[in-house]
Amino acid sequence: VATQTFRWVRVHQHQTDFMERGRQLLALLCAAVACVGAVNLWPQPQQWSNGTGTLVVPPTFTVITDSTSKILENAIAKYMNLMFVHEPWEAADKRSAVVQLPSLEILLNSDDETLQLETDETYWLTIPVDGSAAIIKANNVYGALHGLETFSQLVVYDFPSHQNQISNAPWSIADYPRFQHRGLLLDTSRHFESVQVIKRVIDSMTYAKLNVLHWHVVDSQSFPFESQSEPNLWNGAWSPSERYTHQDLLNVVQYAKESGIRVMIEFDIPGHAASWCAGYPTICPRADCKEPLDPSVQDTYNVLHNLFQEITGGSQGKGIFPENLLHLGGDEVDTTCWSTTQHIEDWMSQNNFTTDDAYMYIVEQAHDMVSSFGRYPVNWEEVFNHFGSSLDSRSIIHVWLDHATLAKVVAAGYRGILSNNDVWYLDHLWVPWQDFYMNEPYEGIDDAKQQTLVIGGEVCMWGETVDASDLFNTVWPRAAAAAERLWSPREVNDTEAAQPRLMWFRCLLNARDIGAAPVLTAEGRDAPPGPGDCYAQ
Amino acid sequence: MKSALLAVALGVGLSCALGVRLWPMPQAAASGSTKLALRANFTFETEFESPCLRRAIAKYRDLLLIHEPWDFGTDGQGVTTLHCLHIAVGTEDETLQLETDEAYVLSVPDDGTCAVLKAGTVYGALHGLETFSQLVIYDFESHQNILPGAPWFIDDYPRFPHRGLLLDTSRHFQPVSVIQRLIDSMSYAKLNVLHWHAIDSQSFPLESTSRPKLWTGAWSPTERYTKLDIANVVQYAKASGVRVMIEFDLPGHAASWCDGYPDVCPSDECREPLDPSANATYELLTDLLKEFTGGAAEQGILPENLFHLGGDEVNTYCWSSTSRIAKWMEDNNYTTDDAYKLIVDRAHQLVSSFGRFPVNWEEVFLHFGEQLDHRSIIHVWLNHDTLAEVVAAGYRGILSNSDSWYLDYLNTPWQNFYLNEPCEAIWKQEDQDRVLGGEVCMWGETVDASDLFSTVWPRAAAAAERLWSAREVCDTTEAELRLAWFRCLLASRGIGAAPLRNGQARAAPPGPGPCTTQ
Repeated sequence: VATQTFRWVRVHQHQTDFMERGRQLLALLCAAVACVGAVNLWPQPQQWSNGTGTLVVPPTFTVITDSTSKILENAIAKYMNLMFVHEPWEAADKRSAVVQLPSLEILLNSDDETLQLETDETYWLTIPVDGSAAIIKANNVYGALHGLETFSQLVVYDFPSHQNQISNAPWSIADYPRFQHRGLLLDTSRHFESVQVIKRVIDSMTYAKLNVLHWHVVDSQSFPFESQSEPNLWNGAWSPSERYTHQDLLNVVQYAKESGIRVMIEFDIPGHAASWCAGYPTICPRADCKEPLDPSVQDTYNVLHNLFQEITGGSQGKGIFPENLLHLGGDEVDTTCWSTTQHIEDWMSQNNFTTDDAYMYIVEQAHDMVSSFGRYPVNWEEVFNHFGSSLDSRSIIHVWLDHATLAKVVAAGYRGILSNNDVWYLDHLWVPWQDFYMNEPYEGIDDAKQQTLVIGGEVCMWGETVDASDLFNTVWPRAAAAAERLWSPREVNDTEAAQPRLMWFRCLLNARDIGAAPVLTAEGRDAPPGPGDCYAQ
Repeated sequence: MKSALLAVALGVGLSCALGVRLWPMPQAAASGSTKLALRANFTFETEFESPCLRRAIAKYRDLLLIHEPWDFGTDGQGVTTLHCLHIAVGTEDETLQLETDEAYVLSVPDDGTCAVLKAGTVYGALHGLETFSQLVIYDFESHQNILPGAPWFIDDYPRFPHRGLLLDTSRHFQPVSVIQRLIDSMSYAKLNVLHWHAIDSQSFPLESTSRPKLWTGAWSPTERYTKLDIANVVQYAKASGVRVMIEFDLPGHAASWCDGYPDVCPSDECREPLDPSANATYELLTDLLKEFTGGAAEQGILPENLFHLGGDEVNTYCWSSTSRIAKWMEDNNYTTDDAYKLIVDRAHQLVSSFGRFPVNWEEVFLHFGEQLDHRSIIHVWLNHDTLAEVVAAGYRGILSNSDSWYLDYLNTPWQNFYLNEPCEAIWKQEDQDRVLGGEVCMWGETVDASDLFSTVWPRAAAAAERLWSAREVCDTTEAELRLAWFRCLLASRGIGAAPLRNGQARAAPPGPGPCTTQ
């Protein structure tokens, strides 16, 4: 690594023909499924063509860009480290006929670094075999980050020659995600996960081109989140040190953004909220019956309002979480505590509310708040199952109970996210990677317009039995199977063809110090059964 | 030792009485009751020019700043502020060997003047920085880094000079990035030896430039360490105060050598132990050991003075059943034990001629006892009792008894790791002095990058305290709270240490809960 040199050269950017050349490139490419040959890339690109040549990436290899993006500069440094783990020998053999790749040029069409659902993640990567520079083109820095990841996966250290190489060159890759929302849910309530660990999770997500950290930060069990407007909330933390300061939250969001990852925070209300009572007992039904939050008292709405205003900054694109989507939970609302608490019962009967009305009331109040702060409310499936088309059209429904609900959600005109628990719950250790892989978001949704309302999916890492010690091997490699489903064309769905690539990707994760579990073990996070080759376990 | 007074302050009940949250427990510590607040722009000061120290300061500054403290300027809201830690190091000599002085003295006054860390070597200073970092706690209410219990006076040094973790990269390959993070984690527990069991019967991941076909015995083309990788690991470890003792486990655990050099093995069907009758075996050993030692003391890619030559579990069936070897033994009037000794002796002579001390597993002592060269160091694993015999015979010994210090034994609870006393039944001072220390062993049959950290930690930390702290610090009830805290410290530093209170090591946490109670 020490022998790598950085040379920052301002090159003239031919923006005029940029898009046109991209289109030409696409026209030349084969359709992904038509391409044959062993290509170790994960997730598989949308379109590519490749040859049979081998390039050496010499120690003098440089990355060149005229962009002044700090995000890009950091990413280049990160990938130089990842690509050149094994120090190459100086290209000693000048007689060698092998062509060297002198550099990689990165061209950005825009310096807008806004990161939202709509952000264009497309990139084009060309690697010629004539000794000229490889080129990544992207419409913004986030596309370029994906291009760098793809490039890094093509660079393989060849141990006999002690050189970094790219095989099967020349390469032309035109790539973009099938779905805009490709997430991993991290639950930091059942167990606390330290900021250091979350940052490593974010690193690992970029390797699989996942782009949303759904931060299920609080739940019934603990409230680790510092709110400056409602400072008693984090009294509900597991312990004094298992908490995130305001600055920690900012750091995570910033770190994620620099990795091209949106952070969608979730406050799961009103059901999974017992931990809120530690700081604010008045918003809970009773000390011995803590959740759902009390819908009958103004305190509840005051706390929600202040909290949402704080984290959103009160308007679109502002606050700790500039992410446009704000997850409000809404699942598993057992209203027993409402029916058995006198003052709530009185309130319901005064307003002529059923428990479902009360549930709807608090959901709507929360929707109104986050909408007024420029956010789109996301809710778990039950909210749709209970209230259907009476929901605000801005609502986004997160399906977890039954895959088939997604078709109903989009038929009703709402946008939807898929996390059906039968195959996309990582805590279901018995679910094999193949089931994660074959979970097709469009299943049962044939109308093209309705399909566009499926914004993507998430794998869920519920934390009941997961702390820092077993997080990575529970998440990986199975999350990667879903990541390819969400990125690559629908037709890339052959588990036999995918398996060697996935095993290769798992070993890549290990090489990058991410403790992904063996692919072939019976259950998630099982130890390897005996001595063996990473690529065979 | 600074004073007799301190020696009095020492001892069993110390941590409870003082509320000390340090792991491993220092040899001597005295504290007060003043709470200091670290100023937001707290500085580490030193006149000592050392890249190693500079790197360590940067590392510990990051560790102290995991949660960013608020800046109250010079006034810590009525609390006395601590502005700086001054570090003084006695010698510029950065040689790292068994004899290296690791002692340090840390004082933290309660009057707001600079804390002072003094050490004979930079490696002592690294330990002092770790201790200092453990004293500092982020207070979430005041948003400041707090150092409770001032004034502190800590006079600390390890009980044993050899405090190791064996890492097996043959049963499963471990990438360099993983090994580097493992070294980080070792420094948190003041372990100072990475015993790199690099090769075994299953795979040979190491590059040898003198014998370039050896690494054809790797699991796969990419599961290998280049010479530069090895150098990087040794360099990284040294900067963390960790010695790297490599092991070539011969002649028994050596089947993977045959892939590149079939001449050194009895036959294709019966591959190990290495063929003691073939010149090719000794030629290969000569080349390999010369290459890795640089041919002279403290030279080469592995400057470590101790060189582990394995020697365990030598099943001589392949010798007796290979006619060429059987005939050679008969011609020379050798028993299989004679042949075993011949190859052990040759390897000893080689590494001794290259300025190293040979280390062997217990069987070599059990077979050959006092016939062994006095430079030999014996690594006990079968039976703790052997260690007493080893040191009584005048040899130096290292303890890794499998019943208590094998990390792959998932049923062994941390308490057994903790209470494994190296000097048990060794009474004479000169015999005790020959106990260099011990190692916990992470055999890799069911361990790859996915479960390494949760199998190693927190149990390795229990042994780390046994090897560092005073013998009298042996109360598991008292230690449990501190160890639970230390495991959470590891988690906060991104090291996936498993729950302490599980029935089995590396088991998942049983349900939701706080870090410290699981």
